[in-house]
Amino acid sequence: MTSSLPLVVENLAFRYRDRQGAAIEDISFSAEKGELLLIAGASGCGKTTLVRAINGLIPRSYKGELAGRILVHGEETTGWPLSRISQSVGTVLQDPERQILGTRVLNEVAFGLENLGMPRQEIVERADAALAYLGISHLRDRETFNLSGGEKQKVALAGVLAMRPSILLLDEPLASLDPASALETLAMVRQLADEGMTVLMVEHRVEDVLNIRPDRVMFMAGGRVRYLGDVNGLIKVVNYHEIKLPAQMIIERAAQDPFPAAANVFSEGAGRGSGGDPLVRFEDVAFGYEKGSDVLKGISLDIRRGDVIAILGPNGAGKTTFVKHAIGLLKPKSGRVLVNGRDTHQTSVAEIAGTLGYVFQSPSHMLFAQTVFEELAFGPRNLGHPKAQTEKEVKEALDIVNLADKEKDPPLALSFGQQKRVSIAAILAMRSRILVMDEPTAGQDYQNYMSFMDSILRLPNFEAILFITHDVDLATIYANRVILVANGRVEADGRPQEVLRDFDLLKACRLVPTSLLQANLDYLPKTGRFMRAEALAHV
Amino acid sequence: MLVTWRYRKRKSLIQWFDPRAWVIFYLCFLFSTLFFWDVRFLSFFLVISLVTVFTSGIRWSEIRRAFLFIGGFIFFFAFLTFLTGRGGQELYEEEHLIRQMVAPFTLFGWRPVLDITVERVFFALSQLVRVFSIAVMTILIPYSLNPAHYGVTFRGLGLSDKIAYAMDLTMRFIPTFGRDFQLTMDAQRARGYELEKIKGGLIEQVRKLGPLMVPVTIHAIIGSEDIIDAMDLRAFGIGPRTWLEELKYEAKDRILIAFGVLILAASLVIVFWGFGGFWVPEAFLRLAGR
Repeated sequence: MTSSLPLVVENLAFRYRDRQGAAIEDISFSAEKGELLLIAGASGCGKTTLVRAINGLIPRSYKGELAGRILVHGEETTGWPLSRISQSVGTVLQDPERQILGTRVLNEVAFGLENLGMPRQEIVERADAALAYLGISHLRDRETFNLSGGEKQKVALAGVLAMRPSILLLDEPLASLDPASALETLAMVRQLADEGMTVLMVEHRVEDVLNIRPDRVMFMAGGRVRYLGDVNGLIKVVNYHEIKLPAQMIIERAAQDPFPAAANVFSEGAGRGSGGDPLVRFEDVAFGYEKGSDVLKGISLDIRRGDVIAILGPNGAGKTTFVKHAIGLLKPKSGRVLVNGRDTHQTSVAEIAGTLGYVFQSPSHMLFAQTVFEELAFGPRNLGHPKAQTEKEVKEALDIVNLADKEKDPPLALSFGQQKRVSIAAILAMRSRILVMDEPTAGQDYQNYMSFMDSILRLPNFEAILFITHDVDLATIYANRVILVANGRVEADGRPQEVLRDFDLLKACRLVPTSLLQANLDYLPKTGRFMRAEALAHV
Repeated sequence: MLVTWRYRKRKSLIQWFDPRAWVIFYLCFLFSTLFFWDVRFLSFFLVISLVTVFTSGIRWSEIRRAFLFIGGFIFFFAFLTFLTGRGGQELYEEEHLIRQMVAPFTLFGWRPVLDITVERVFFALSQLVRVFSIAVMTILIPYSLNPAHYGVTFRGLGLSDKIAYAMDLTMRFIPTFGRDFQLTMDAQRARGYELEKIKGGLIEQVRKLGPLMVPVTIHAIIGSEDIIDAMDLRAFGIGPRTWLEELKYEAKDRILIAFGVLILAASLVIVFWGFGGFWVPEAFLRLAGR
């Protein structure tokens, strides 16, 4: 019976050569034809290691001690070359940016088939079929570089499907997608499973995946399988702080728990129109990287004391371009940006950095120092803070992101999630009055990002906070002002309960209402404002 | 993800040919130019490069930055050799003074003197023409070669599948490196880092470049590991590979290659006969009062 199963994993364990302790151990499961298996768990629980072991990168590219066996259609893959495994097991990585090799879509989709040495005619037929299947034939001759995040993800998937694998591994495929693209990708995955493909999907966004009815869920913790079974069973064994469950489920379960301490992080009294001069003012700002195609068009708005702003919008809408204007990294083509009343055309980025702290999306673009302490001290020193003050600022920032014990560690040796927290702390240490974060939660697990968002919003020193996100719930829970950006324009700007209730507008901005948003709208007459699901349970 | 150069399909002489034929022609042009120091011969190569650039269909706004950067670099070095008189001394033994300029001031007791000689003037001119011709031809390549054809072009020139694909990736690595550098620069400026304010001795200055160089290097390493994984996962390197893109030589391509080889052969013959070395016109020597 086992031999007919597409995938069998028996007593699998692996330890990376240069690390202490096993990354995964004692993992046994099998997957049937047409099964959709969701694999969930916190960062560092061993999900990615499991994927690498199945697709053969472990032990071929990542060396270490491997034990146990993996059988694909009844045959043990241990002695197989990667090329043979890759014909049965297709892998789509978390970030399509890291997977796409071809310059043109057709070349990218054909890459694997070229490597297998197929006749040219067959390659073209198969590549075209894969593109047609995913409904992206119109992208065939486009350059991969110019695609949006969602399009890139589909092209990466097409490149894998063209090789006609029977097992598909998806490692957090939704991480970089806007909600509408994520929904489209999920629908496609469901269809693939329905047509007989075995799909293993690693994903933090459990709530989203539950919508496409996974057959089973595996929950991993500490390198082991903590739960494997149907969805209903999962909800009984995991804590609602560990993974993101649908709001209604949280509300039911949180009713028995005490009222959450973190629920009222900031007061509703702050926010728009709280008086005083604006901290940042955009006056009819337009900008384009190339002549004739503007990324930003006529943006006018003020950022005021007490604002906690969430910027939402589709991939490529101009969100990052917009916030880069606030720190003067980009200067408007027309119109002007004032920070503390001074035009960014007349101020250096370093001067603005004292007022406005900007956390970049990717920590790997900024970490360089030998110790975490040095990394955090870099900003305050550049701003000329005295030594004793710098030390105090660094220590406080480390406490906030919960990395006080890592002070002497090299930042580059930390995990991605920890690096992201170091990059946030590096800006916190500069004690700027305004904090700007570009997708602060990307690549972080639910429990971790909720915890540091709570900590950051509790900090007394920020006069305003602004963050870019794809996560509607993050805006629902934390923001007191939501700005929707699409096609370089501000489509809406107001209190979350005003902006996010317009579902047509959300749809136009490639956003999808979530269960938490829906629950909040239902409770709004009673609550008067948005809050997290745990708090709604006590209304 | 690897970024590509700013290639666009254009109606131009350079894109009319098969990329392999153009690369062969380019190599012939490059080596031939390097044989000469005689500005009369070098101007022939300058004409070829100017014809290529003016028929390339590339707008000035597209290549302005590259041109100003590399052009500035070439002018600076030609001017520097002119000022110091160093660099050309292997090519000429005696110098003929046109005019000597003596500075009206001294630096720590040393009075700068500029000897304008016929040889220096012509050496600077030859150097300028030579390097400029090569630079122009080189700058055009990334703008005119379709990135989707890089691999198959190198394969078609006789390199193995693996080396050809590696060359393809390398060509695209350069603009990717540029983009990562810009991102890191922005991230550090947002932390109050100012490149303009770096002071101190040489070692200190290099040390202060750490915030830029370390992330860019680490990113390049991580990026290449990702690329290797992505290639492995799609069966790269298991055997002979099919290249989706097909290139076909046509008559015009053969003519171009023949023209390139002819230039190279002719250059070899000319140099072999003892021509093409550094040259100064008689009239100028008379001007210098020989």
